[in-house]
Amino acid sequence: MEVTVKIFRYSPEKDERGHYETYTVEAHENERILDVLELVKGHKDGSLAFRRSCAHGVCGSDAMRINGRNMLACKTLVRDVGANITVEPLLGLKVEKDLIVDMDPFFDNYRKMLPYLINESPLPADGKERLQSPEQRARFDETTKCILCAACTTSCPSFWASEEYYGPAALMAAHRFVFDSRDEGASQRLQILSETNGTVRCHTAYNCTNACPRDIHITQAIGELKMAMVTGNLE
Amino acid sequence: MGLNRNVSLSAGLGYKGGGPYLTYILHRIGGSALFIFFTVYILSLLGLESMQALMGNWIFQTFMLTFGLFHAINGLRISILDLSPKLIEHYRTAITIEWMVYVLVAGFALFVVFRNAFGG
Repeated sequence: MEVTVKIFRYSPEKDERGHYETYTVEAHENERILDVLELVKGHKDGSLAFRRSCAHGVCGSDAMRINGRNMLACKTLVRDVGANITVEPLLGLKVEKDLIVDMDPFFDNYRKMLPYLINESPLPADGKERLQSPEQRARFDETTKCILCAACTTSCPSFWASEEYYGPAALMAAHRFVFDSRDEGASQRLQILSETNGTVRCHTAYNCTNACPRDIHITQAIGELKMAMVTGNLE
Repeated sequence: MGLNRNVSLSAGLGYKGGGPYLTYILHRIGGSALFIFFTVYILSLLGLESMQALMGNWIFQTFMLTFGLFHAINGLRISILDLSPKLIEHYRTAITIEWMVYVLVAGFALFVVFRNAFGG
């Protein structure tokens, strides 16, 4: 089928502001938007810039706005969005070129959550591993699925207003460790989350939950963090 | 080098977030409407006749009830879900119920306003 794709273009050397260019390519309805972008880059305009890596929904490199909504280009099929497609960069992050955005503020916020296991206690007697029941593991299973694609954070109106807000993805990193029974840094993280740019800036727009390509119940996880901050209960 | 990160109002409103995002936007409009309402109300209590006339105007009442009631009912839904994070999983159902309650309450309120304005 003939697919018309309108792509946001911006080159820092040539443009003062971005503009849109429209291309027409032949693509099967089962092809992905990433394939369509590859067709444009390979056959129409080699200067088109976008991120891609694994192309299978695992690395999170190719999050972008497709027909007005954040999605992964490698997980979205042409038949899902129709023959007229508009592709734009993520909102709320500086555009470096075409569909490539500056991810530094996103990862800066992620690092503020101390996204690693904190446990200063000595190892168990056998010296091997810190055991955990299946129930304890299930408590934070949902948020281990995050691939840091930034689709959630850049769909959040609070993040659009201020990049100082940690954003849903960073809060997912906090959730993953706060509810891990092996971790001892929960109070430290909850203290960070209680700051002005923490959970208080989540106003439950649900854009993050709808944008997540891994179907993580993000707003619910943020709600659990809010409740843990109030009650101190990490069960 | 690079384009500014600023998100314009039109770009923000143009994001296709669906029903939940619509309630988020309407909640902000409702909050602004309540701010206007209380300002007019306080000024009318201070004796400003123009504000008292505005309080009695059916167009003003219709605007305030339409958005103010949505703000109140949506706020109630947000509070309930905030207090019970496990229920957030059912947020779409909660929003559907919210709209049903809103249509009933706002419908009745607007019926009273219109009856008083045009009922004679």
